[in-house]
Amino acid sequence: MHLEVELAQKLVSGLKQARIDLVTYLPEIRLSQILPLLRDDPAFTLVPVASESEAVTIGAGAALTGKQVAIYIECTGLYVSCYTLVSIARRYGVPLLLIVGYLGSMADQRNNSVYAVSGTYVEPLLQALQIQFQVLEDGERLEADIQDAVRQMHALKLPVALLFSGDFTR
Amino acid sequence: MIRFDCLKLLEPRITDQLVVTSLSGQKIEWASLSQHPGNLLVGTMGTALGVGIGLAIGLPQRKVIVLESDGSVLLSLFNLATLANLDPKNLIVFVFDNQVYSGTRISEPTATAGKTDLTMMARGAGIEQATTVRDLATFEQEMETALNGTQLKFIVCKIDESVAHREITRTDLDPLENKYQFVRYLERTEGRPIFRGRG
Repeated sequence: MHLEVELAQKLVSGLKQARIDLVTYLPEIRLSQILPLLRDDPAFTLVPVASESEAVTIGAGAALTGKQVAIYIECTGLYVSCYTLVSIARRYGVPLLLIVGYLGSMADQRNNSVYAVSGTYVEPLLQALQIQFQVLEDGERLEADIQDAVRQMHALKLPVALLFSGDFTR
Repeated sequence: MIRFDCLKLLEPRITDQLVVTSLSGQKIEWASLSQHPGNLLVGTMGTALGVGIGLAIGLPQRKVIVLESDGSVLLSLFNLATLANLDPKNLIVFVFDNQVYSGTRISEPTATAGKTDLTMMARGAGIEQATTVRDLATFEQEMETALNGTQLKFIVCKIDESVAHREITRTDLDPLENKYQFVRYLERTEGRPIFRGRG
């Protein structure tokens, strides 16, 4: 099973409606169906990276030129990118939308012993980093949730995270 | 060759290029030479190159210059592979390689003091225009080629350790102040807003 095509389309459509136009990413397993959709849509510039750490620095650089940036990573990538989230995104105050596959969360439909422990620390970590977040388990309000998060990141001039669990992890 | 002499050659050549600095020594030296609003004085290890790549992607018509160091590049080696594959033609990277972690104040050696060659690593990552310079005349020649060219350049400058920056008064530019100065400069020169959201 994979992320339903309809849900993936809705997610990408939501990003587009929120005027996201550049996505840095290190692919993961739960939301990967969005990548071909993003790649096929000329509204998006896709920037593949080799580490979530540089997903943040490259995204921050692009955001400072006026790009509307989303960073698509696995939740374990939050651990990898802690340093750049603090030293660049937070220290400089850069609006970035974190699109996070929330592996190991309670509602992760494919949760297992590989991910569960990693998932345990995600929300406390974001709280420690003072990054606002919302956990999404279904696509009911998806486009509105993305709009809300983007509006908040611009108002704060800081990263804001959407954690995708539940139906997004089937 | 010392870094400050290289930077003294670079500074008069800056017009509308954007300059991103890495950590303390070169940040202090560059800020003392240049108060250009297109300076982004990042000043943390392993982050300047990534930020510079992002700027170069966001403004492909504009030259972006990143001032890096050996210790900083070594901390984020994944940048090399990403940089090679993105291949931003408008990006120039100077890596001032003094082979020590100068900021430690005990000159602890970096890997480039041993067997590691950053130019070879950059080439191995796929950055074709990676080169090493060892004297000021060659630095100036490579700098001019890079500034006038339309290719990604990665120039490793083998320098002697210098602690001259410790005698320079540090800039008091706060990161947030620096960001807004930089962003407003881009808004003026690019003719469009950068940040969204209601004030």
